[in-house]
Amino acid sequence: MTDRPLVLHLVDDTTAGGVTRVLDFIRTNPDMAATARHEVQVVARNRSIPALSADMIVSHLSISWRSLPVLIALRARHAGLPLVHVEHSYTETFTALNVPFKVRFFTLLRNAYALFDRVVAVSEEQGAWMRRRGLVSREALQVIRSAVDLGRFRALPAPAGPALRIGAIGRLNRQKGFDVLIEAFRELTSPEISLHFHGTGSEEQALRALAKGDPRIQFHGHSAVPEEALASVDVIAMPSRWEAFGLVALEARAAGRRLVVSDLDGLKDSAGIEAQFVTGHGVQDWRLALKAALDAGTAAPARAPGAEQEFADRWNHLVQLCLDRGEPLTRVAGGRA
Amino acid sequence: MPYASIVVPAFNAAETLAETLVSLSAQTFRDLEIVVVDDGSTDATSRVAEQQARTDGRIRVVRQHNRGLAGARNSGIAAATGEIVGFCDADDRWLPEKLDTHVRHLERSPQVGISYSGSAMIDADGHRMGHAQRPRLHDVTTALVFKRNPIGNGSAPVFRREALASIAWRPHFETRRDWVFDETFRQSEDIECWLRFCLSTDWIVEGVPGLLTEYRVNAGGLSARTEAQLAAWERVVDKLRPRDPAFFARHEAAARAYQLRYLARRAISSGDGVTACELIDRAMAESRTPLHEEPFRTLSTIAAARLSSRFGDGPMRLATAVLSAVRQ
Repeated sequence: MTDRPLVLHLVDDTTAGGVTRVLDFIRTNPDMAATARHEVQVVARNRSIPALSADMIVSHLSISWRSLPVLIALRARHAGLPLVHVEHSYTETFTALNVPFKVRFFTLLRNAYALFDRVVAVSEEQGAWMRRRGLVSREALQVIRSAVDLGRFRALPAPAGPALRIGAIGRLNRQKGFDVLIEAFRELTSPEISLHFHGTGSEEQALRALAKGDPRIQFHGHSAVPEEALASVDVIAMPSRWEAFGLVALEARAAGRRLVVSDLDGLKDSAGIEAQFVTGHGVQDWRLALKAALDAGTAAPARAPGAEQEFADRWNHLVQLCLDRGEPLTRVAGGRA
Repeated sequence: MPYASIVVPAFNAAETLAETLVSLSAQTFRDLEIVVVDDGSTDATSRVAEQQARTDGRIRVVRQHNRGLAGARNSGIAAATGEIVGFCDADDRWLPEKLDTHVRHLERSPQVGISYSGSAMIDADGHRMGHAQRPRLHDVTTALVFKRNPIGNGSAPVFRREALASIAWRPHFETRRDWVFDETFRQSEDIECWLRFCLSTDWIVEGVPGLLTEYRVNAGGLSARTEAQLAAWERVVDKLRPRDPAFFARHEAAARAYQLRYLARRAISSGDGVTACELIDRAMAESRTPLHEEPFRTLSTIAAARLSSRFGDGPMRLATAVLSAVRQ
């Protein structure tokens, strides 16, 4: 087993969130471990990275003008190693809402991505955006939809009876758009329905103020066990303003929960075809979509079959492409990536 | 299939449509189609369009029950087949090189989704009035679009089709085709579309030099519609605010001040000094940003409003006369 190549994953964001959980899955995935040793190393943001001993390096780092010198040095110190970058943050809608001078930003991304042999988009939609904006060459781009171990989500019984409880899971910040959710929910008058927030964040006070006076809306804080939060609701709402992938959507599918999501970025991918997609953030549009989802009842949609296997296959394929050892690695599913 | 489509929404435009279509037929870029959407006109619009179509086979006429300007443009977009799609209202004109200029701009800048130009104002008789919209052409941020609308009137921009498609949606009650412009607006449908475009896509918005559109200004009854205009603008803000409340918290007051200043300037033009004063005072109470960002234009608006309210439209007529004498 010791002749397996070492793939070192670098990360500078260790807060409890999607990236951390996807990395846990990479580290512990038996299908991926069969072909390579995947280790995770935490580095300080925007600080120089020393020479590393590995067969392949995968950056999950955040790209900015400040981090660009770090990435250049990383490339220079490992000139002979395959370098891969996974883009967990940037999307079309992120750029629309956060980047005043887009041409300059595209220049940053093009230059940063060019340092890597391969760039991984975490959703088809994000990959299409990278191609559309000419950020990555066609040959360098790989799409690997994010995944985590969904076993415990699939083990949850499907919600029974009428759909009454709407769940909102994630950081309470501007990105997640929960302000729109509260306003839309408050326009639904049924006393039986409820809205449950699982998460903390900078907008918590503002959201609590918006929810004030409506006892149907409850804040439960951060839930360390994601499947427990999902188990306690019937429908998941994700009115995100941008989303590179949207792990909660994948987990909700695996848990057999209906989804109402923004029709943008990675959610087009992660939420699956059965989700209810809402264009824009109009309160009335969201009210109608929530009502439709509640009225549709709790019949469980397909539980995201094969998501983990596809993730492992694509990673194994990428490792093989990068290391090109001339011998086929096991469990590579015929170049589906 | 033609490379470019020009959509011409036409409602009771028999008097001006021929002029518009002649200017489009005369485009130096030839690989185009012109889609005239007769939006339920009750005058001879349809006949005029058919007449022009006989002289230029690239003109097609689509008819529908009246859906308003946004609805006519949406039907035109649905019927258009070009890679790029421009718009020209049925009382405006394009200069012959306009389409060619935008085609080349979009070809050399693959990140640009909207290419626009400045506009020269023309009067009811089609004569240039000496006024123009000369917008900033580069570094167009969403905040600039909100505050100063550099894209301008509905006859100024040319879109890449892919960019138009990225903001298209199908309201649940719509059965025929997608919307790009919001048909629930009968005013401010342009700025609603431009601003929504900037808030939901990362296509670059960029202008080309020159006053390539001739935009007709109708003098009558401007200030009477001021409040309706303002109400429509507020509805745009209310509609789009949830997309990014932080953006609106930062720029809304300044954008409203600019909007009030714009309406004040129109009131001055139509000789209504009292309304102009009221509007510019409201603008300054809302935000001082126009004073800092554009001191000359803002101060001259304040001065003109005061003069106009005291002395009627005499000073304005004098100033216009002097300006046009200087230009000649």
